[in-house]
Amino acid sequence: MKTLKQHVDALFKNIPDSEEKETIKQEILENLEEKVQDLMGQGKEEEDAINKAIIEFGDIDEIKQELLQKTIPVKKNMSKINLGFSIWGSLLIISLFVFANFYYTPDEIWFVYPTFVVLWWPLSMFFYWLRTK
Amino acid sequence: MDSIILRLISEKDRYGYEISKEISERTSDRFHIKEATLYAVFQRLHRKELIESYYGSITHGSKRKYYRITPLGRAYLHEIAKEWQETKDIIDLFMEGL
Repeated sequence: MKTLKQHVDALFKNIPDSEEKETIKQEILENLEEKVQDLMGQGKEEEDAINKAIIEFGDIDEIKQELLQKTIPVKKNMSKINLGFSIWGSLLIISLFVFANFYYTPDEIWFVYPTFVVLWWPLSMFFYWLRTK
Repeated sequence: MDSIILRLISEKDRYGYEISKEISERTSDRFHIKEATLYAVFQRLHRKELIESYYGSITHGSKRKYYRITPLGRAYLHEIAKEWQETKDIIDLFMEGL
């Protein structure tokens, strides 16, 4: 059974380590072992059976793609958090300007100018979020 | 591919090798699923929450990972079956009498 394990290890060599990778590796190994047992039950030599199981396994890239896709939703969440943070942050900054404006210089309205500057922050975050959606 | 595997899991809880064996048997060896495809499909169905997995009792010295269909999976399978019927009917319209 050693060559089966070596083969599965080799298949998964280029996939980044993760808990999921280990569980799926374990699962595949167990099922392949059972397949080999079955083939031997049909009168095949152990070496033949292992070779057949390995050849019939197919292309690892399919599994690789599925494993890699899992990381995308995490990124999506980050951009949403960034957007929320930028909205609340800019609201706080703007309200500080509004307060300073009306408290110290109520005769002159100037808070609009820094407000436009600050609005670039949530705006850029919004488009970044839109792109990842 | 996804619907074939989902269908087999919907009949009863199954594990990986059982499914590939079942597919070969039902098609009288006309079709074999590659293990790589099978596990990729498991990952995909699991991510869409159409199936869930659990560990069964110990056999052959290790625990088998079984898959079970979720209510969402059942609804999805129903939808797929309807769509497939529709597609088949339409293709049949054009392929008839050839």
